[in-house]
Order: sequence, then structure tokens, then C-alpha cells
Amino acid sequence: MNQQLTGYAPTPVAARMENHGSAMLKVAMVTGQDLFARVGSMVAYEGFIEYEPNPPAVRQMARDWITGEGAPLMKCTGDGLLYLADYGANVVIVNLDNDALSVNGTNVLAFDASLQWGVERVKGLAKFAGQGLFNVKISGTGWVALTSRGTPVVVDCGSGEDETYVDPDALVAWSPNLKVKGKRSFKASSLIGRGSGEAYQMAFSGQGIVVVQPSEDSTDRLRARG
Amino acid sequence: MAREFQRGHKAKVSDLTAGTDLYVGVQIGGPGLTFDISCFGLDANEQLSDDRYFVFFNQPKSPEESIQLLGAQAGDTESFRVTLDRVPANIHKLSFTASLDGAGQMSQAGPGYIRVVAGGEEVVRYSFTGAEFSTERAVMLGDFYLKDVWRFAAVGQGFDGGLEALLKNFGGEVLDEEPAAPQQPEPQGAAPGFAPPPQVGAPAPQFGAPAQTPQPAPAFNAPPPAPAPQHYAPPPQGSTPPPAPAPAPSPQIHAAPTIAAPMHLVPGAVPPPPAPTPYGQPQQPPYGQPPQQPQFGQGPGHIPGQVPPPGAPAPYGRPAPHGQPAAYGRPQGGGLQAAIQMYKELPTGQRWISQNKQLVRVDLGAGGQPVLARQGSMVMYQGKVDFGYKGAGFAGRIVGNATGQEMQLMRCTGRGQVFLAENSAHLHPIELQGDGICVSAEHVLAFDESLQYEVRRIEGHGIPGGALFTMLFQGTGTVVVMTHGTPVVLPVTPTTFADSDAIVAWSAASQVIVSSQVRLRRNAYPGHSGESVNLQFRGAPGNFIVVQPYEV
Repeated sequence: MNQQLTGYAPTPVAARMENHGSAMLKVAMVTGQDLFARVGSMVAYEGFIEYEPNPPAVRQMARDWITGEGAPLMKCTGDGLLYLADYGANVVIVNLDNDALSVNGTNVLAFDASLQWGVERVKGLAKFAGQGLFNVKISGTGWVALTSRGTPVVVDCGSGEDETYVDPDALVAWSPNLKVKGKRSFKASSLIGRGSGEAYQMAFSGQGIVVVQPSEDSTDRLRARG
Repeated sequence: MAREFQRGHKAKVSDLTAGTDLYVGVQIGGPGLTFDISCFGLDANEQLSDDRYFVFFNQPKSPEESIQLLGAQAGDTESFRVTLDRVPANIHKLSFTASLDGAGQMSQAGPGYIRVVAGGEEVVRYSFTGAEFSTERAVMLGDFYLKDVWRFAAVGQGFDGGLEALLKNFGGEVLDEEPAAPQQPEPQGAAPGFAPPPQVGAPAPQFGAPAQTPQPAPAFNAPPPAPAPQHYAPPPQGSTPPPAPAPAPSPQIHAAPTIAAPMHLVPGAVPPPPAPTPYGQPQQPPYGQPPQQPQFGQGPGHIPGQVPPPGAPAPYGRPAPHGQPAAYGRPQGGGLQAAIQMYKELPTGQRWISQNKQLVRVDLGAGGQPVLARQGSMVMYQGKVDFGYKGAGFAGRIVGNATGQEMQLMRCTGRGQVFLAENSAHLHPIELQGDGICVSAEHVLAFDESLQYEVRRIEGHGIPGGALFTMLFQGTGTVVVMTHGTPVVLPVTPTTFADSDAIVAWSAASQVIVSSQVRLRRNAYPGHSGESVNLQFRGAPGNFIVVQPYEV
């Protein structure tokens, strides 16, 4: 029996964050280097790790996130190995090196507490998206883990002469220095229920990247669990 | 079932497998360590009398190709193909070795193995861990040797001197470029920004006085701080980077080895107190691992090219130094760029391209004609593309009336690239050249407008909705089929059946028969008739059906 299972043993730690398979994140926790992770994303841990859901610092930063519900982040401290996952979504690890990334709120899995971050609302789009589109802008130097339902694609906006249009439900992250605007592509026909189904997109222009997932399921499973 | 060998075990190869075409996989790795895995073909005196039988990254095969280096695959750090019956008569022994490239010692290696696979099946495996070794820099893992017949032995013997010592041991000549080649300090791997703190500070601050014993880590996987931080690359699924420097990402603005500044400056200095503990050993305090002796003996000279550039980003965990020029102008520089490299958009060229398993991209500029796609399947587009409503036509309305849900299509026109995906289902662009395919209507994602299509209805009692709707595509063009999970493609034989819920597509020439099987099931739930409907397929050889592992 062990023969088949040994292949899934954790690999030796080589970095702060690593993938274990495509859908699990392994974080090497050390005292003094705290981590913010989505509440409910912990699947296993070894060592001594403490969790503080909705710490005051987060409450301040994320008061806009979804009013009245508190921020869906917990602060993890301690020493050991922490395993995180989000319902089988692919985990993408980004090591920011004095970079910045703007991540859709539901696609944030974890990030280093030493990074600068803030919650912002994408203006003009929230009312069309039905749910407000909140995103977390993370900058500095450190590790960030994102989730993507399916293997994502990264598009360089600078390569095309035109703007890049993205379905907001499929959007994972983008470079914050891109210019974002909402685009309503519906015509009169779509108002009477015969549209193309693509009523609005987000248009990005400028120099930077956009990360898109191959799924339009942007529901927040970690929150929906209740 | 593979046999597990311990150190010193031997067996005839013929007892392990009947085949002589063997695959030898080696997995070895450790944080910050890079291994060169080589195979020595030795003569009867255990000497490397012929250099051409030293198979390593610079010489990936022996002259008659009986020993070939295959590279990292299937979880193995390095792999070889060995055809024993083609090995020349003067070669009596094939010795597989791993030697450290760069600084480090064998005790820092994590668990690894050498395994032999024959005919797709693993026949023998010798597992080891770094804890079995101490300061060695190379290890002989296993041998194939000729004693009347070919035999395999698990060796597990360490060598102090690394690859050169191994070569000398085998009587080979040490060529200058051999040790030199692997030494190129590459900021290789995908995380150039990750800089482990210096090993001087390795013993965690919790330990008042770091023990000075150079003891190897006895049992724990996570070995001590790696002395060669430039090799910190996220190991792909549990293996270390292959010995030859992997395709190093193109130099980036921050690609300079971002090594913690105080490294090596004062050998033997007091560990900097609250310095970040390296990630390589985060569990150190709770696990009671004896702290490692920092390798003070290694001067900076051991790590070429490691002088930190002034103003290099501080190691992770410290606030970013603000003297660093902000990289906001190019947000994709440095670590970000590397992390997303594997998800980059593929170059344009073809009309339909699978960007990955779950995303297809159609280039509307190439070919010119519009594409019909399921409504809402667009996730992104670039260029000037117009999305319009497309009724499914008369046939589509039949579908709609019968099932209550019309097949909703949109028409994509214009110039530009459109990315299509649906619920991270697997997508398969199928190119038709005059032939036909039937696809279950709910598994159609998109197709060229140039294709002729009609809706067919397969009625059967027990099929959800009363009937199965399929779309028959004919002509020249591409249809994108989506499946939930990896599908299976079966040839149509006289007895080919499929569940009507799991069928995805079939070749148009095969004939479908609905066959019902009535079972008296006691536990048939209310409303369930206990009857299951299968579709039987008949057709000439060459026809096929596609079934997904998911019953919607």
C-alpha cells in the first residue's frame, strides 16, 4: 500500500511557499514571518501554528471587503509546515520582488504579512457584476499564493495594440499600473434577453499582465461554506 | 510489485524482469542542492577505460546508444535508458552515481531513490536518505554488473571528493571543463528573488549557543541551510532541478543573485540575532533537530558569483529596502515574471490553439470566418471582436422546445484573439476535414461557422429530459468539445455501450441504438424506475466514441 502512497509525501522544503501538486500550497512557517491566509483554507499543518481569524489589522484594511461580515483572512503565526487549499483550485505562487499585483478578492489564498496590501473596489463595475468586485492590491517583496479554477493564462497587455477585454468572473489578477475600465458591450438586443451573454467586460490597457482563469465560476467557496 | 532493496542487496536482472531494455530513474535532491547524475561504463577492472562510456549531461549517450540519458521525467531527477543486451562485451559494470554540483554535502540531501523500470513497471527500487551520509560529495547509488549474467546491486556508497574523485576512482581523466561546466552560477529557477539568509545566521536564534558539531541531520527531511543559495529553485514536483542548468529565465532586472547581504562576511561571527531563519529549516526548533554547523570553512570562493550587488533586495522577511529603485514601471520583472512564466500566452499563428487543457484561443484574424461559441464562454479577448446573438435556428428551437433549454450560441466576428473556456472543463479542439462527428449538445463549446451542423434527437425512455440531443458536424473546420475530466476514446466494436449521461461524442458513421436494461433494484430511490439506459454503438471498424468520467 505504501508503494502507491509514497509518491505523495511532502518534498523537502526549498522555499517559503511551494506547490504540493497543482492544488495544494505548502508554506514553511517561521516565527516572526506571519502569513495572511483565507479563513477556511487550511487543510493540514504540522508544527506549532496559531490562527487568528479576522485580526484587528485586517479588519481595518478590509473594512470595505464585504460590509458587516468581516474580512475573510486569518493571521497564521508559528513554526511548522502549513498546507492550504481551496476546493481543488489550482494554486499559483508568485514571489513578488518589489512588484505589485492586484488580485481578485476570491482568488487570494495567502500572502506574507510583511507585504503592503489594501482592499480596493473596482470602480464602476461592482453594480454590473452583481456582486461587488473587490480586489486586494499587494505590493512589496514577498510571497503571494493565488487560486485559479483551472490552469490560468497570463497575457501581456503590452503586446497587442488593442485593449484586452476580460470577463470579470474569469479575472484572477492584474498589474495595478494597468488602466482599467468597464466596458458594456451590450446592445439594445441584449436588453430584451437575447444578448450574446457577454454583457460587460473589463478593459485593460497599458504595460503589464493580466491573469485569467478558464472558468467563469467566481463564487467564493470558502465563504459559501458558512 | 517493485522490490525494495536495501544497501548491499543484489539480484540477477533476469530475476527482476525478463526484459533487457530498462529505464533507470534516480531521484535525489535537497534544498539548494544540485546533483549531477551520471553513469560510468566500467571494464572488467572497474576502470573507465573508454571515456565514451561516461554518460553524463555533456555526453548523453554511449556510442552504440546502449546507455542514454533521458533527463528529468516522471518524478525522477534524472533518468537513463539502458539496453543491456547492446552493451559491448568489454563493459562489465554500469555504475550510477550522483555528485553534488556546487557547495553542500550529501547529508543535506532529502530522501531519494534509484529505481529500475521495465516494460512500464517498476521492478526494483533502492531508497535512501541523506541521513545515511555525512560529508560526502558524491554517492554511488547502484550498479548493473556482469557476473555471468547482468545483475543489479544497490550500492549507496559515498565519496568525499565529488565527481572528480569518482572519475579518479574509476581511472578516468579529469577534464578541465567537466567540473567547470556545472559550476556556472546561474540564478536559475523561477524564484530569483528568494534569497535565503546566510547560513551564518542559520542556527535559529532560539538556540542560545549553536552546537558546533558538524552532525548530519539525522532523520529529518529538511536539511540544513543550503550553502548555495543560487540554486534555490522551486523543485518541480518533488525533484530537484536537473543537473544541467534548466532553461534559465532570461536575465531580468532583479535577476542578480539576491543573496542576503551579510553572508560570509565574517566567518565564524555570532549569528545575527533576530535574523530571519532560513526557510530550509523552519521546523528546526519544534523538531529538536540539532542545529547545523554552519559551513564556516567555505569561504566566499566556494560560491562563485555570490557577491551581493549593492542595493540588492533584502532577503525575504525584511522590509524591502527603499533604496531599491521601484520596479513599478515594469511590474512583471523579477519574481513575478518568473512565477507566471509557465502560464504565458502561446504565440499566435494557428486559428485554434489549446492554450492549456482548459482554455482554447481562436484567432479570428486567421481564416476570416466567424466562430459560434456557447454563450458566456468568452473569458478574455484582445482586438476588435464583436459578440452577437445567434439563434440556434429551426433545429435549435426544436431542442429548446423539447428540453426547455435552448442551445444558446453567440457569434464572434471581427479581428482579434478570443479565449474560450467553460467551468474549467477540458477542451479538445477537433479538426474536421470533410468527415463528421456527433457531439452531445451540452458538450459543444464552439465551432467554426464554416461547418454544417444539424441537431439530432435520440429518444429513449429514461434519458433525462426525454431525449438526448446531439449535434452532427460535417465539413471542414474545427469544433471544440468539452469534457469533464480526461475522456476515453473507445473503438466501436460489436459490443460497445455507453451511459447516455457520460457520452460526449462519436464518429458520425456509427449507429446508435438505445438499449434499456431493467433491473429490479430494491434500493431504487423514489421516482427512479430502476431502469438504466445505455446507448449501444454499431459501426464499421475505425469508428470511435468518446466518453467522459463524469455523469452529468
